[in-house]
Amino acid sequence: MKIAISAEKPDLAAQVTQRFGISSYLIIVDPETMEIEAIPNPGAAGKQAAGMQAVVIAISKEVDMVLTGYCSPTAMKYLADNGIDVVTGVKGTVAEAVAQYGQQANVNPARSMEKPDFAGAALLPVLKRSGMQLVNLLPVFVGVVLLIGLFNALISKDLLLSIFSGNALLDTLFGSGLGSILAGNPLNSYVIGGELLEQGVSLYAVTAFIAAWVTIGLVQLPAEMAALGKKFALIRTVLSMVLCIAISILTVVTYYAFSVWDL
Amino acid sequence: MKTERSGIFADKRSGLKKLIFPGCVLMIYGIVFVINPARAAMALRSSTDIFRNLLIPLGLVFTLMVFMNLFLKPTHIASFLGKGSRSRGIILSTAAGIISMGPIYAWYPLLKELRKEGAANSLIAVFLGNRAVKPFLLPIMISYFGWVYVLLLTFFTIGGSVTVGFLVGILLKE
Repeated sequence: MKIAISAEKPDLAAQVTQRFGISSYLIIVDPETMEIEAIPNPGAAGKQAAGMQAVVIAISKEVDMVLTGYCSPTAMKYLADNGIDVVTGVKGTVAEAVAQYGQQANVNPARSMEKPDFAGAALLPVLKRSGMQLVNLLPVFVGVVLLIGLFNALISKDLLLSIFSGNALLDTLFGSGLGSILAGNPLNSYVIGGELLEQGVSLYAVTAFIAAWVTIGLVQLPAEMAALGKKFALIRTVLSMVLCIAISILTVVTYYAFSVWDL
Repeated sequence: MKTERSGIFADKRSGLKKLIFPGCVLMIYGIVFVINPARAAMALRSSTDIFRNLLIPLGLVFTLMVFMNLFLKPTHIASFLGKGSRSRGIILSTAAGIISMGPIYAWYPLLKELRKEGAANSLIAVFLGNRAVKPFLLPIMISYFGWVYVLLLTFFTIGGSVTVGFLVGILLKE
C-alpha cells in the first residue's frame, strides 16, 4: 500500500501542507516499511492547472490514498476515478499523519485499501463510474436531441438544401467549418450528422462535419496551447483541418465505390 | 480527518453548467409552444422518435464503457506514449488515443507531464488525433450510417491522425 502526503519538505518530519495542488512535495510512504519517496511538485508555483500536476504524480505513482489539508473537488474527482481515496483535514507532520492513518485502518479494517478478493467488488465501482460517465453525457445529449426535434419541425428541407448545394468540395468545406467551431462529445456529432443526412444534406458535408467536430474543436485550442505550447497546438490544429477535409472526401468517395459493388 | 470520495463530490458548478444548454432548449420549446403549439408538439414527437431509436445503441454504449473502465486505467493508457521504437510508438499512441476516455481537458496535464519525460510531440499529436475514434460510441454511429461507412471513416481517421503526427514531428524538427 502507498500513501501520498502533501508536505512542505522532503522528509517525514515535514508539516502536512494545507493545499494538495500547490504543496512543495508529495511524499509517498509505505506505512508498513516506512520507506519514503519525496517528489517535488511541479505545480507548487500555483500556475494554471497546478493542481493537476500533483494529481498526475499521485496517479503515476499508483498510490492508494492521499492525505492532505484540502483538495479541490476537480482534483478529488480525478483521484477517485483512478481508485485513490482522499483524506482531507490532515494536520501535523507527515510521520504523525501516517501513524494516525495506520491507527484508523486498524480500528476500521473496512477502510483498509486492500484489493477486493472477489470479482463483484471490483465491478461495482466500475458500474458506478460508467453510469456517471453516461449521466455526464446526458444533459447535453438530451439538449441536442430536443434541438434536432425543433430543427426538424421548423427548418424546411428546401432551406437546408439551399445551404448545402450538393457540390462535394463546397459541402465538405462548409461542413468542416461548422464542425470545427462546435465541439463536445462525438456522440452529439453522430446524432446531428445522422439527422442532417436524413434531411437530405450530402454525405460529404455530414462526414466533414463529424470529422471536424471530433478532430479539431477550436474552442479547446486555448487549453491545448496552455498545456502543450502555442506552436504545437497551432501546427496540430491547422494540419488537422487540412487532413479533415482529405479524410472526409476519401471516406465518402470510397464509400460510394463500395456502394456501387453493393456491399 | 475526513474521507471524501470524489464521485459524490463531483463539481456541482460544472454539473449546473451542463444544464444550461438543455435548459435554454426547453425555453425555446416554451416560446414555440406559445406561438405555434402544433409545431412544438411536432418537434417533441420528432425528438421522442430519435430517443427511441437510440435506446438500444445507448445500452450497448454503456456496456462497452463498463468493459473499458474495467480493464483500462488512464495511467496504463498514458504509459503507452513515448515507449518503444518509432513504429511501435506510433501503434501504441494510436491505441492509447482510441481507448482513452473522458474530456480532453483531463488529459492535457498528463500529456504535458509525459512530454517533459520525453514523449515525442509527434506521438502526442497521434494520441490527440485518435481520440476521435471512440469504440464505445460505434453502436450509435453504426445505427445512423451503417458499418461500411463507419469502418471507412475510422480507417481514414486513424490514417489521418498518424499523418498529422508525422507532419507535426517534421515541422517541430524532432
